[in-house]
Amino acid sequence: MVDPGRVRRRFSWGGYLLLAPSLLLFLVFFILPLAVMALISVLTGNPVTETEVSFTLGNYGKLTKDIFYLDVLLVTFRIGFYTAAAALLIGYPLAFQMARTRSKTIRTLMLMAVLSPMLIGIVVRTYAWMTILSDQGVVNSTLMEWGWIAKPIHLMYNEFGICLALVHILTPFLILTLTGVIGRIDLSLEEAARNLGASKARTFWEVTLPLSMPGIMAGSLLVFALAISSYVTPILMGGFSVITLPILIYQQISGVFDFGLGGALGFILLLVSLVIVILYHRAMSRLSRVAGV
Amino acid sequence: MKAVNWGRIVFRGLNILLIAFLLLPIVIVILFAFNSAEFIVFPPEGFSLRWFDKFFTDPDFMGAFFLSLKLALITVVIATVIGTMAAMAIVRGRIPGARFLTAVFLSPLMLPAILTGLALFQFYVIIETGRTFWGLLVGHIVVTIPYVIRTSTTVLYNFDTSIEEAAQNLGAGPLAVFWYVTLPLIRPGVIAGSIFAFIVSFDQFPVSLFLVKPGQITFPIHLFNYLKYAFDPTVAAAATVTIAMSMSMVLLLEFTVGLQEYVKL
Repeated sequence: MVDPGRVRRRFSWGGYLLLAPSLLLFLVFFILPLAVMALISVLTGNPVTETEVSFTLGNYGKLTKDIFYLDVLLVTFRIGFYTAAAALLIGYPLAFQMARTRSKTIRTLMLMAVLSPMLIGIVVRTYAWMTILSDQGVVNSTLMEWGWIAKPIHLMYNEFGICLALVHILTPFLILTLTGVIGRIDLSLEEAARNLGASKARTFWEVTLPLSMPGIMAGSLLVFALAISSYVTPILMGGFSVITLPILIYQQISGVFDFGLGGALGFILLLVSLVIVILYHRAMSRLSRVAGV
Repeated sequence: MKAVNWGRIVFRGLNILLIAFLLLPIVIVILFAFNSAEFIVFPPEGFSLRWFDKFFTDPDFMGAFFLSLKLALITVVIATVIGTMAAMAIVRGRIPGARFLTAVFLSPLMLPAILTGLALFQFYVIIETGRTFWGLLVGHIVVTIPYVIRTSTTVLYNFDTSIEEAAQNLGAGPLAVFWYVTLPLIRPGVIAGSIFAFIVSFDQFPVSLFLVKPGQITFPIHLFNYLKYAFDPTVAAAATVTIAMSMSMVLLLEFTVGLQEYVKL
């Protein structure tokens, strides 16, 4: 016979051993670098190679004084907002259908249609939109062939093109979040509303939609967060003419080599993302409370 | 009654249009990959494999392709092994703060990946190692471990531990229990996690962006750099090859674990 207490103790030691490689990796190569990034943003130089390094808020001061940086933030958040709103309009009907269909085949096929674009690299998906929306692209050349327009209309190289491609790239994330939430809505609540004489439309507006609110919030926040932190799509679809926060960060680091300012911009993106993560968890915990009732 | 049916037909039609919106760009890229014209022209002119030929014979494209493949394979092996170990520890190890640890390990999914790249790059410059292959690999492991941990912890939580106890009572040692009982039961989660880790590493852009250097360019970064200056259908051919790769991964996932299982995660 094995003493159960001994087994438990040995297993617990094993637990720490199993955990060690991943935890060490995360401490040294994820948490420490992020902390270093935050630290550099409030220092005047590199603390390892330079001797005279002091504390400064100059990098953040620069960001608030120059209208250019504020404008970059505004553009970034605007793109995030439009993208999230459009993704919701497209994602809700699909998520609804997917959650409610009784056919397993239809659900699997829809799931594959939604998941497969997700599994194709972001550069390739942005390229696909360039072939469609560029001045010589599918839309413009077709319209010119038919004689509807004389010269190409600019469908990309602007915020519209960026948003359209981002909506395509990010909608699947929203659909996956929303499908789970709609699938958990108790159908008897809708039936009760119908039995009490509510029309289909009224049942949807007053029962289904409010109950899917946590999914709507969580999915939109996810799309917003991914949109404001994307780099490839804004730079290629914007044709280098629209500058968003991630583009500015890359310019500061790789072009100007200003680690202080780049770190400060990175820290701002980190803070915004943390706020979004907290809001996301709030929405999702509201869901589990609703489902638990 | 009839009005209800019309509503349903309109709704179905709308959904078909929306699915077309999701899939159409991929179809168009594949179409252009087999097009013989020098530039992107629509409608396509004729069938040709010249862009595939150019892709498979171009040393820059091939170098980047095989670097990404090598990187993804090493990443998958390390992330799957240490990620599954951590998942075991979190679910079974009776370690205090298991929920907090899970949140830490999943945080690279929540925070912008471009920050992981930026922070690692600054860190490598400060500790003066520069942008090495190993540095790039570590970045990829950090952003792929969350997928392995998420899928593995899910199967471990839905797992009947009495089977393991039975094996233990019958005299199996901890390693034998893990190898013959635990591993076969959690295999679907581990496989799903490693397939996602492969795709995430192979398509990784924001983390690699800061960590590549001339002579060490990953495939997505090379495609991106190529697109900045040229717009010929070689990229479409390259895209088609990666789409074929991703699709076979999805089918593999569907046949080994089932997509439904993944979405519940």
